[in-house]
Amino acid sequence: MANLAMNRPEVIQSLIDGVDRYNPDNISILEEYLTTQCQNEEYDLMANLAALKLYQFNPHLTNDKVIINILVKALTAVPAPDFNLCLYLLTEPMIIDEPIQQLTSLQQLLEQSRFAKFWETFNSDPSYEKLVSNVSGFKKAIRNLVARVVSMTHQQISVQLLQSYLDLKGDDFTAFVKEQNWEVKDSIVQIPVNKDNEAKTVVIRENIKFEQLTKVIGYSNEI
Amino acid sequence: MYHDNYEEDDLAAEVELVTSAQFTQDTDVEDGFGSEGVISSQKQPIAVEIPDIIKNFITYFHRNVLENNVYELHTIYEVSFNKLTDRFYAKQPWPEAELISPLVDDDQVFLTLYRELYYRHIYARLSPSLQDRFHSYENYCDLFNYILNSDFPVNLELPNQWLWDIIDEFIYQFQSFCNCRNRVKNRSEEEIALLRDNPQIWSCYSVLNVLYSLIQKSRINEQLLVNKNGGDMLEAAGEYGSKPLYKMLGYFSIIGLLRVHCLLGDYTLALKMMDNIELNKKALFSRVIPCHVTTYYYVGFSYMMMRRYADAIKAFSTVLTFIQRTKQYHTRSYQFDQIAKKCDQMYALLAMCIALCPTRLDENIHNHLREKYGDQLSKMQKGEDSMNVFEDLFQYACPKFISPNGPNFEDPASLSQAIEPYQHHAKIFLNDIRNQAMIPTLRSFLKLYTTMSIDKLAAFLEMDAEELRTQLLIFKQRSRQQKWTTGNLLEGDVVSTSDLDFCIKQDMIHIAESKIGRRYGDWFLRNITRFQDVIATLEAKN
Repeated sequence: MANLAMNRPEVIQSLIDGVDRYNPDNISILEEYLTTQCQNEEYDLMANLAALKLYQFNPHLTNDKVIINILVKALTAVPAPDFNLCLYLLTEPMIIDEPIQQLTSLQQLLEQSRFAKFWETFNSDPSYEKLVSNVSGFKKAIRNLVARVVSMTHQQISVQLLQSYLDLKGDDFTAFVKEQNWEVKDSIVQIPVNKDNEAKTVVIRENIKFEQLTKVIGYSNEI
Repeated sequence: MYHDNYEEDDLAAEVELVTSAQFTQDTDVEDGFGSEGVISSQKQPIAVEIPDIIKNFITYFHRNVLENNVYELHTIYEVSFNKLTDRFYAKQPWPEAELISPLVDDDQVFLTLYRELYYRHIYARLSPSLQDRFHSYENYCDLFNYILNSDFPVNLELPNQWLWDIIDEFIYQFQSFCNCRNRVKNRSEEEIALLRDNPQIWSCYSVLNVLYSLIQKSRINEQLLVNKNGGDMLEAAGEYGSKPLYKMLGYFSIIGLLRVHCLLGDYTLALKMMDNIELNKKALFSRVIPCHVTTYYYVGFSYMMMRRYADAIKAFSTVLTFIQRTKQYHTRSYQFDQIAKKCDQMYALLAMCIALCPTRLDENIHNHLREKYGDQLSKMQKGEDSMNVFEDLFQYACPKFISPNGPNFEDPASLSQAIEPYQHHAKIFLNDIRNQAMIPTLRSFLKLYTTMSIDKLAAFLEMDAEELRTQLLIFKQRSRQQKWTTGNLLEGDVVSTSDLDFCIKQDMIHIAESKIGRRYGDWFLRNITRFQDVIATLEAKN
């Protein structure tokens, strides 16, 4: 679970740890907390799941807008499975609702790493922009997600391809690349080596633990 | 002596005698049970005689409950009750509590315990009517009220196995109720009215309330913390928690919550319930085998649904190894069939996880897996028709999901289109793994090379270069998983779970494979021990 909320307020912590999480009166606290997450570009999956849990048990409380915001937030956590974990808590009639279907199609594109297609879809219809409008920094978060995946996989990638993944051009692109500490040389972006993109052959050697030897050492005493 | 009355030899002889009389009676009763959910409960023929053996059994049973003779109760509960069931009540319910009440001086506590068995037997062997379901729920309420709402800890001791079964059955009946509540098609008006007017019966909140109350009363979480970090156990346990009855019920309730949340599709919360329980051989759950199996099944399943396949594989293979090693102990258990079924389901889940995240297994487990699911495994690994195999295995091995709320009885339209919760979960899960359907093929090609150009590999795979790039990105992401190392079950670091890794430099793929060096240690250790034995034998002969 990426970007786990490090600064989870104490109220929320004790709420999700105890039986209070089942108390329908607490839904407003969790909803407000979500609003803060949306405004401050923070993300706390556990708290959001607790809100969905309350909806699951008390369908009359269900607030579609909140659910959408939670799902939009979960989109930014791909490749973590957060979006699905949220879907499991909803019901079938809820997820065939148009807005949630739209978000699910975006999720599928992200999960399938079809980034260019993602932006194409996203830009094709203003309703998408509207769906994510409550989550500030949504596009930035998605671009960071793309950057994470690209840097896991590549040491070098062509500018043109990366631009299509990021839906960025010109100065915006240059600024983004700089922010990531990547370098551009002859229309090729150089990505520094990290533990995921270095692909080194490793031979895993056997590690014999002391406990395995106790019996043998026991014998040697007898001799 | 009571014992003499149902010695095994004796039993065999008598069964012969009663079978003919029994059968005619059975067919009569059976017509009554026919369809599930008929309101009229399976009533006993009014003037039914309770056989003397049963009378004696009940008196003996009652006396041992009064004396808190856990040792005897163990046998009564696990052996005698089941034998007598097979003999007298294979196809009809046990005598109703009211009928046996004179035998036990109208002891209400005993009658509640007896009803627990009575209804459990109906659920297991017959089909419970709606009324049985309601009464059984009320009986559980009586039982838990008695235990939880007394001024002092109640003076009652029951075998661990029974305590586990109480919690297990309570949740089973809850799940069974949730599933049957949604099938409104063939219900009578009367039954629908009954369901509509009693939404609190078997509601999620009431079930959770029971489990949480048992946890709180027993202070089991405090006790587990002391166990882990040290401290004063007596103080942590308190007056109630130091009694085995409370302690074990509290502990089993934690496992119960793991299960309930899993059934509801809340996998993170399910694992969170286990915060204070460490998964190891010393844990309390390992004292009761079905509890042990249940724990690992739900932990493993939750991990799988959270895409933490490596952790799921570890959970499944740990418990399957354990079951294999202890086979001789539970083949005799009255719950053997259930354990065997759960194990079979876990092998199916394990096969899925292995296909999704290729991992080297313990040899023993691997052989068993190939025996049971060899065909399916190779299909999933080769990507032939794999989605159908995944779907079949998932359907067979997943828990019976529930939806927490009943249908809306005010809205007839919604009644007819209620969707099975299984469909919902299966759809999301299958959609998720469909995204990685190409990985096995891709993997088999990558294994052959150390460097390869994207265009060339794309031509081999008969796809365009852009599609291949996409698949490579998926491959990379799916080979990284959160994996537990220490702490509670939800924690973990993101690590690579694949022996095959690669990086892309513009249009070239550079591939690296991790190799596992040969393992010598085990071989040497085994042979040292063997020689030692040979030497010992030789010396003994001198």
